[in-house]
Amino acid sequence: MQNEIKQGKRPKNPLNKRVWRDCIRDWKRYLMIFVMLVVTIGFVSGMYVANNSMMQSLENGAEKYNREDGHFELSSKADENLIAAIETGERADIVSVFRERAYKEAGPEIEKAVKDAVTEKVREQVGNAIREQVTAAVDEQLSAAEAMGMEITAEQRDSAINEALDAAMEENYENAVNEALEKAFDSDDYRNALNDAKDEAKKEIDKEIDEKYDELAERYELNEEADPVPVKLYELFYKENDEIIPDKSSSSGTVRVYSERRSVNMYDILDGSAPSDENEIIIDRMHADNAGIKTGDTIKVGSTSFTVSGLAAFSDYTTLYESNTDTMFDAISFDVAMTTDEGYRRISGNEHANYAFIYNNKPDGVNSEKVMSDNFLKALITQTAVSENKTEIKDYVPAYANHAITFAPDDMGSDKTMGGVLLYILTAVLAFIFAVTISSTLEKESSVIGTLRASGYTKGELLRYYMSAPLLVVIIASAVGNVLGYTAFKNVVVAMYRNSYSLPTYETLWTPDAFVRTTVVPFVLMLLINLIVISRTLRLSPLRFLRHDLKRTKRKKAVRLPKWKFFARFRIRVFFQNIPNYIMLFVGITFVMLLLSMAVGMPVTLSYYQDSIKDMMFAEDQVILISTEDDDGNTITTDTQGAERFSLYSLIHRSDIMDEEVTVYGIEKGSVYVSLPESYYSGSDAYTDVFVSQAFSEKYNVHTGDTITLSEKYEDREYEFNVYGINDYAAGITVFMSPDRFNKVFGKDDGYFTGYMSDTKIADIDEKYIAKELTSDDMLKVARQLDHSMGAYMTYFQFVCVIVAAIILYLLTKIIIEKNERAISMVKILGYNNKEIALLYMVTTAIVMLVTEIAAIFLGYAAMGVVWKIMLMKLGGWFAFVMTPDGFIKEFLLVFIAYLIITICDFIRIKRIPKVLALKNME
Amino acid sequence: MSEEERKFLEVRGLEKSFGSGETKQDVLKGLDFTVGKGEFCVLLGPSGSGKSTLLNILGGIDSADSGEIFINGDRLSRMDEKSLTRYRRKHLGYVFQMYNLIPNLNVKENIETGAYLSDAPLDIDELLRTLGLYEHRHKLPNQLSGGQQQRVSIGRAIVKNPDILLCDEPTGALDYTTSKEILRLIEEVNQKYGNTVIMVTHNEAIKLMADHVIKLRDGKIRHDDLNSGKITAAELEW
Repeated sequence: MQNEIKQGKRPKNPLNKRVWRDCIRDWKRYLMIFVMLVVTIGFVSGMYVANNSMMQSLENGAEKYNREDGHFELSSKADENLIAAIETGERADIVSVFRERAYKEAGPEIEKAVKDAVTEKVREQVGNAIREQVTAAVDEQLSAAEAMGMEITAEQRDSAINEALDAAMEENYENAVNEALEKAFDSDDYRNALNDAKDEAKKEIDKEIDEKYDELAERYELNEEADPVPVKLYELFYKENDEIIPDKSSSSGTVRVYSERRSVNMYDILDGSAPSDENEIIIDRMHADNAGIKTGDTIKVGSTSFTVSGLAAFSDYTTLYESNTDTMFDAISFDVAMTTDEGYRRISGNEHANYAFIYNNKPDGVNSEKVMSDNFLKALITQTAVSENKTEIKDYVPAYANHAITFAPDDMGSDKTMGGVLLYILTAVLAFIFAVTISSTLEKESSVIGTLRASGYTKGELLRYYMSAPLLVVIIASAVGNVLGYTAFKNVVVAMYRNSYSLPTYETLWTPDAFVRTTVVPFVLMLLINLIVISRTLRLSPLRFLRHDLKRTKRKKAVRLPKWKFFARFRIRVFFQNIPNYIMLFVGITFVMLLLSMAVGMPVTLSYYQDSIKDMMFAEDQVILISTEDDDGNTITTDTQGAERFSLYSLIHRSDIMDEEVTVYGIEKGSVYVSLPESYYSGSDAYTDVFVSQAFSEKYNVHTGDTITLSEKYEDREYEFNVYGINDYAAGITVFMSPDRFNKVFGKDDGYFTGYMSDTKIADIDEKYIAKELTSDDMLKVARQLDHSMGAYMTYFQFVCVIVAAIILYLLTKIIIEKNERAISMVKILGYNNKEIALLYMVTTAIVMLVTEIAAIFLGYAAMGVVWKIMLMKLGGWFAFVMTPDGFIKEFLLVFIAYLIITICDFIRIKRIPKVLALKNME
Repeated sequence: MSEEERKFLEVRGLEKSFGSGETKQDVLKGLDFTVGKGEFCVLLGPSGSGKSTLLNILGGIDSADSGEIFINGDRLSRMDEKSLTRYRRKHLGYVFQMYNLIPNLNVKENIETGAYLSDAPLDIDELLRTLGLYEHRHKLPNQLSGGQQQRVSIGRAIVKNPDILLCDEPTGALDYTTSKEILRLIEEVNQKYGNTVIMVTHNEAIKLMADHVIKLRDGKIRHDDLNSGKITAAELEW
């Protein structure tokens, strides 16, 4: 009989066909996860591609646009000799030059002094000789007269001597003196005396110069051996003036105008063309966007009108930092422009003698660049010091430390890290949702799995099958996401960066990093999480699958519940049944709340900071004087009500992330603006005792009793201070100390001060004596720029968070209802109506959701505090992350709205469950 | 039938208990029997007699506490989990009271899940005709009656042409007429493909169509009889 059996071919694994059908059958779930993955992967991929392409373009730009290796500003234009000397990159021998100069200056003075001394002595000696001679001659004549019987009184004698002396002096003195001097100056004694005097003076000069040099050498490490750093210098002079848009009759801030750039720090014209005559100007594209200036518009630089011929990205201003010590860039009220040489001459205002330099031998890394920059600075300091030019260095900024050049690429780099972390967290959340979904499917298909395992299917075969759908989704999502990343999302990210930075044109580059991070990593995450969860379940024996006994820990008895009402007990059972889902819900919602904390909290914090900055400032107006004396040498005073003197000094707080400027204030005792305790002034505490601002304390985690180290900006000099207390000033990274301590630490004279502060506008000091006026506007730079760069995106981001929350809720509540479909069907048969069923099954989730939301809001807030700190570490200044009660309520409501929408979907889903389901076979 | 064929399945001293200490319950208390190759063997007994446990142990999805099982010379009781899976894959077919079909695979594809496990499966179309399902081969399980679904599950078990077909109450969820149809089908398969069939049932009437009847009660074999006057499934009445 068996001979008649017809054999067929072994078919391909039919479970493979099922993978697609599973996806189609459960398309809503797969679509949600797919969309979330595509959007996240697309955005992160876009971020990587945009970042990589732009950073490459910025990197290439250094060579393409011949970008400077640094620049410095002198107080006046350098002469050819100084330029040539600086370009050698060699240190000047300050000691020899200064000695030579001192000797040269001292030589004639010494000679004159010796000559004067000799002349005085000769004159005295000649005078005495003549007197002796005249007295002897007169006495001889008087003796002869007395011998002849004449009586001569002493008076007559004196008178005769004086008469004769006057006559002799008039006749012989000068000749005798000159004769004697001639002899004296020709004598060895004179030469010896002169030499001795010169030797003595040189000793004094050497001593003084050595002392001064030692101090300088220590400060600038001049004694260390270093190779010369030859450079090429470029004049890059500029003038600054107000930028006025005549059409809007308003000032859009300060514009820094350069003359035509021909060889260094070139630019990329993004719109229009380079200026062709004295009436044309090109300005920074980013600022133009912010100020609403277009090509063809007219702007005024001070009082001079220009037509904007184009918008450009200058290679040395990818980020518009007005000064390298500014806490934040400012593309809103600061602009960079370039016109023709003739156009430049038309502009009024002080010219800044700014020089760009490029190393003749390029450094081969950041460390070597630092060393070269340090060595070049020494050459610059010494050459400027010995120059006949009488000029001083006003500013020195090497490219690697120039925020205008480095901030954009640094920021892009950290965005990449942040984007990557968000992608991984979201992928992990989705992978867990997948795993929970599959766990529930395994439970549902328990008998089928049992039968397949009993028939001989291996665990591996089933594992591969159940892993296929999530992996397929992640692979397709990665592919689609990457395509979108290279196209649509890349442009979104570029637009975001263009909203903050002045970036040149770029070329989209293939970015392997983007592929690895957005495809391989999510794939591996999905693989691992699903592998662990699925293989754990599949490890059970076929028999347990057949018996629907998939609980890993054997439930001995049902948990006993108190004698509550039936509904309450029912809900508790639903809770126990769905604990894994609720854990996922908690993780997912906490993740969303973290994002939402940022989306809601950032605008709240920024507006809170902007609104309360005036209250935060200890004095509304602070005037820093150029000199404390006026042209007549009188101390500058003010009659402004409540004005107080203060001293000011700038130091640097160095850290691995960034070097931040710290303002050190000397505050008078009893100040009404900065209140430091009486004991601080009267106690005999160490002179290094200081107060730090609350902002300093929070940002750098500094407390009373700690020691802080601050450094000079361009010198290798450090100061250690003991933190005596924390002042509640929250608007700046500041150190306060008493004036006497201040003077002692910084070597100032008693009575030294820098300016005046008052809550009333200080208006009675001539502007020409004012170096800077600090107002609340200066303190708002960070907040304003952050608001501009990111504020607008936060609203969109809030919606994204709501959608993510809704998807997570949809996926998890779907599992809960699916798990209970048969039970729901059964209670329907028993006569419960839909509302009652909803109360049974949905109230549990509602309660869990409520608790989760409240906990997640606070967890998200706490986590955001940490993220915020990391974010602000890169920026100057500090303001704490603030969330107002409104913000919390908004967060709660946003997620709750998502929940309500999903609840409606769930209610519809419950309504649609047919009664016959309970009566059907399990499979 | 040679001695080897007569002892195609050999069980010696099989014991199995559940629980421990005071709650320990002996389910199988030292069973010894053999089943010949190609035999239609029925395991009869009331609920709790241990027949399903015995079938599961024979099928390698449950393990005995002691005793030996040899199938065609292979010692099942010494096999590790991997070997057991391989053994089930190559030599056993399972039919359960519940059909356990994959809901989103059609009839033919459900049978293919069995065929995939064999290097030399039966011709699926011919099997579908044998099962009377050829016309329904593109239907999904939820479009079929209970009897038809059970046919599919039999098809899935038999398509890999196993040495032994294990059936656990295959008619337990079916009405009289459909049950008879299924029994006829199993009979036909047994005759046509020559597989050894071991069927667990509590339906006394089914023993009449079997070659070999083993009756269990309280974990012990009460009767182990060869049926010389067996009747066809069609002739069964209950």
